[in-house]
Amino acid sequence: MAARTRLRAADACPIESPVFLDLNFVLRSLPLFLEGTIVTVELSALTIVIAMIWGLVVAFGRISRHRALNLVASGYIEVVRNTPVLVQMYFIYFGFAMAGFGLSGFASGLFALSLQNGGYVAEIFRAGIVSISTHQVEGAKALGMTRWLVLRLVVLPQAFVRVIPPLGNQFILIIKDTSLVSAIAVGDLMQAGKLLSERTAATYEIYLILALFYLTMTSIVAVMLRLFEARFAIAH
Amino acid sequence: MLSQLLDNFPYLLSGAGKTVEISAASIVLSSVIGLFVALLQVFGNVPVRTLILVYLYVNRGVPLLVLLFAMYYVLPFAGINVQPFLGGILVISIYFGAFMGEVFRAAINSLPKGQWDAARSLGMRRPLMLCLVIFPQALRLAAPPFFNTCMVLIKSTSLVSIIGVWELTMAGREVVERTTAAFQIFAGVGFIYFCICYSLSRCGRYLEERLRYGH
Repeated sequence: MAARTRLRAADACPIESPVFLDLNFVLRSLPLFLEGTIVTVELSALTIVIAMIWGLVVAFGRISRHRALNLVASGYIEVVRNTPVLVQMYFIYFGFAMAGFGLSGFASGLFALSLQNGGYVAEIFRAGIVSISTHQVEGAKALGMTRWLVLRLVVLPQAFVRVIPPLGNQFILIIKDTSLVSAIAVGDLMQAGKLLSERTAATYEIYLILALFYLTMTSIVAVMLRLFEARFAIAH
Repeated sequence: MLSQLLDNFPYLLSGAGKTVEISAASIVLSSVIGLFVALLQVFGNVPVRTLILVYLYVNRGVPLLVLLFAMYYVLPFAGINVQPFLGGILVISIYFGAFMGEVFRAAINSLPKGQWDAARSLGMRRPLMLCLVIFPQALRLAAPPFFNTCMVLIKSTSLVSIIGVWELTMAGREVVERTTAAFQIFAGVGFIYFCICYSLSRCGRYLEERLRYGH
């Protein structure tokens, strides 16, 4: 895909932009940006899904009564939260490549983003679960529910409503963080802008488009989140 | 196996020094920006507040990397030439100034209204009120999220390596290109970041416990 992108970037663009905002340039380069946007959306969506699942697993480890499991989960969370996601990406991308079985940039980026955000999501889930009053748990136990049943029927449905706002914030951070995969040669939105700004002088247009595209994506998620929140706030 | 990491560890540490430099400068600058943003949001008139809201909205929705590249590519066209090192610090500070602003604003707003009324009824002017009544209490509340934001900031300084500033991540990449020992070197780089960030978050937790009286 990178080769195709490069070709298009080269023939689509003028050497010098004649006006302050060249709308012609914007129109001509739009397909390139849209192509990058698709990659960004794919990567974000996959990261969100994997991070949610993995985060729930880690959160269960974190609240488990099993000492070893608890230690591993909290150690994992501390490690991924205290190291930059860019370094994690390099570790996976260059590490596997130099060990002989290279992962693609997309796969490495997805791997690193899911690992890091899994840690953040786990903390969000844990906070949500812990925030449910112990009276509820005791009440459920008094009804003879098992620990698993208490979690599934009483704690998780209520915790879910409380974690919607912080989860949504995390989703927005994920979309923004996907821009880092441009550093490991993935043709995402950021990379499209980077390629164009290396080949043309239309930098105002490029970064305006980039900012608008990212703002649109994050705003859509923010609005969806607010609707979702409102929907569940009534049911609560 | 580990010899490549150990041999190059001093080099990575000097990179870490640069990372600490960039982080410290950005933390100070973004705190100042954040404080102004918070005060303008609390006291400003409608146009000022709208302007601040736009600033916050843009920073919340646009990735830091886009802003860094914009600085790197757009500013020369506007006739402004900044060193990537300085420009990186500026962009990070402006970006995190928004988040710091939110931290301070939340802390100021979470104080009970009675505090303001009491200060006003004692005849205090606004600056005196802020210095003697509001800040001492609000800063205490702001400490935990402040340290959290600092941690995120330190991690984000790794992005300036992409626009060619030499710091820890860049040093790691250089060493990897020389030794091809990517796993070991980047694990070492990650370890150094971990030490910096973890000690800071410990600091934050300690302060949080120390300052939690009287509320």
